[in-house]
Amino acid sequence: MDPAEVELLAETLRKTMTAASGPALDAALAELGWPELLAEYPEVAIPTVFRLLGETGAHAPLLNDVVLHAAGRPQGGAPELPYAGGRWVVWERGADGGPGGVLDDELPLRTVPTGNPVPLAAGRRALGWWLAGTGRAMLSLARTHVLDRVQFGRPLASFQAVRHRLAETLVALDGAEAALVAADDPFGSLLAKAAAGQAALTAARHCQQVLGGVGFTAEHSLNRHVRRALVLDGLLGSSRELTREAGARLRAEGSAPRLVQL
Amino acid sequence: MNAFTTVAEFRSALRTWLDDHDLSPGPDHSLDAQVAQLGRVRRELYDAGWMRYGWPAEVGGLAGPAVFRAVLGEEVATRGLAEPGIYSMVEVLTPTMISYARPELAAEMVPLLLGGREQWCQGFSEPGSGSDLASLTTRAVPHGDTWEISGQKVWTSLAQYATRCVLLTRTAPGHDGITAFFVDMDTPGITVRPLRTMHGVDEFAEVFFDDVVVPADRMLGRPGDGWRLAMDLLPHERSTCFWHRIAHLYTRLDRLLDETDERNETDDAALGAAYLALHTVRCRSHATQRRLAEGARLGPETSVDKVLLATAEQQLFDTVRDLLPGVLELTDTPWRSEYLYAKAATIYGGTAEIQRNIIARRLLDLGRE
Ligand SMILES: Cc1cc2nc3c(=O)[nH]c(=O)nc-3n(C[C@H](O)[C@H](O)[C@H](O)COP(=O)(O)OP(=O)(O)OC[C@H]3O[C@@H](n4cnc5c(N)ncnc54)[C@H](O)[C@@H]3O)c2cc1C
Repeated sequence: MDPAEVELLAETLRKTMTAASGPALDAALAELGWPELLAEYPEVAIPTVFRLLGETGAHAPLLNDVVLHAAGRPQGGAPELPYAGGRWVVWERGADGGPGGVLDDELPLRTVPTGNPVPLAAGRRALGWWLAGTGRAMLSLARTHVLDRVQFGRPLASFQAVRHRLAETLVALDGAEAALVAADDPFGSLLAKAAAGQAALTAARHCQQVLGGVGFTAEHSLNRHVRRALVLDGLLGSSRELTREAGARLRAEGSAPRLVQL
Repeated sequence: MNAFTTVAEFRSALRTWLDDHDLSPGPDHSLDAQVAQLGRVRRELYDAGWMRYGWPAEVGGLAGPAVFRAVLGEEVATRGLAEPGIYSMVEVLTPTMISYARPELAAEMVPLLLGGREQWCQGFSEPGSGSDLASLTTRAVPHGDTWEISGQKVWTSLAQYATRCVLLTRTAPGHDGITAFFVDMDTPGITVRPLRTMHGVDEFAEVFFDDVVVPADRMLGRPGDGWRLAMDLLPHERSTCFWHRIAHLYTRLDRLLDETDERNETDDAALGAAYLALHTVRCRSHATQRRLAEGARLGPETSVDKVLLATAEQQLFDTVRDLLPGVLELTDTPWRSEYLYAKAATIYGGTAEIQRNIIARRLLDLGRE
């Protein structure tokens, strides 16, 4: 696909994700040809679709497809997925979330006692892009807020402490996206998911702070993104667990792999 | 010498050559020895052609893509042939000469630098002008076809070894009143006083200018171009130089892994975090190299590379101290000096705060402070 085609695809996806979420979005994306896109152009499908899920705040059980595709299994199911802390979850299809279950109660995640191992690399890249998109969404909310809101007779955006928090957020997100772009093997994917999880949590912390009281209200959409970041970070291994795993691998190998080469 | 068409070909031929030509430094780690070693490495690499790839023929180069310079620097750093900070100074000085010096001057001088015959320095900062570089006050006054320069520079790296200096002076008020010169360091009226540094390698100096007479044809660009020159060199510093430095930091992480107990799981989180930060900046720098290769003009987005690198460097050396308790405090080890030097990573080349100011203003478009 050339850049213009990808651009067009992204525009269509953004519209679709703005109009629908959950099972309805799942159905709309199936109609748009998501399964074929994933099968034929996974290197375009995964970054574009998952990043947009993050940016728009929509959700759909597409991670299942990515994992099943990587496992060479038929699309449409819902495999057990490893979660932080040695737990397992299933991302249900055709269901809505609901109160009382998961921290992000829009997501139809159900915990299950155990599961079978699944290939992780592609799913980690997908979640990484989703987390990066979620981080971008938070940064954009925070940026708009600090430009609009005036205190002490000046926009919040003129205070250096506020500016530096948002700069820090951008650095983390740009770094994570560079790691995602470079991820083309399982270890690179592990690292990219760790970087993206960390970046989304950095974004959550700084953006929450500069949004002040309004960002703490249920009406403001920040809290939805914060919840999403927290839940997605744990899926297929949290940034903390993955970082530790990377350290264990370095220790075992006795040297630091140079994954990207000129 | 063959003309190389791909990075892989270039790298593999370079590696073969380096395997056959041992340029390893001797046991002396003094700054004098480091600078002498740097000269030796540059000379050998220049004479064999390697140092000339990626530079245009007008300044003695053998052409080819700039990425060859990143590959060369990575090999030099990975093999520990020269101290990467001072090795990479050519990446800033040479593009400045190509863009701003008279073509004949650049053609005459650049081979002396690339070929290890000379060291040069960069006289920008002054006692009263660090982050606020545009406030600099070292004056240059025209006298016929010469200029007379008076003032003081500080923190000038390698000034005590330098034959020439790329010097910023004031010729009129404001940003447009800054003018750059290419000054011979043996000109009467220049006094260099080396400064002690915190890490024990006295790499920078104070430089005093007392009525120093410089020919007008040593001006870089035109009167008032100095600010633009200073801004233009930042992207150079943040592309190829950074790739070299990152390669160097990987060697230090390797060394740390050598020295830690491979059965001790308790350090995994810290090792992983240090590695993740390094991997992240390597990926970012890789993307920057690629954009450069595609002909992009690098700009304020390289402040992101700078923050990632400085943060990763300090995190790495903090991890060294944590994982090797007592080593750098109580023993005679190269870690001590390197640990201390890492403290400067958030100061030189534009402080961490200045980078965040740039990101907020230029990348996030947050308006003025
Ligand atoms: C190892 C080393 C090598 C160097 N080599 C050279 C060289 O070869 N040539 C050369 O010209 N210079 C060199 N420098 C100087 C370097 O460029 C300056 O130290 C740097 O620009 C900072 O200036 P300063 O030291 O005057 O600090 P200041 O500008 O006084 O800053 C002090 C502190 O205040 C903060 N601060 C300043 N302004 C702001 C602001 N607007 N917003 C928020 N915080 C702010 C800074 O971030 C910093 O934390 C070198 C420095 C070091 C440490």
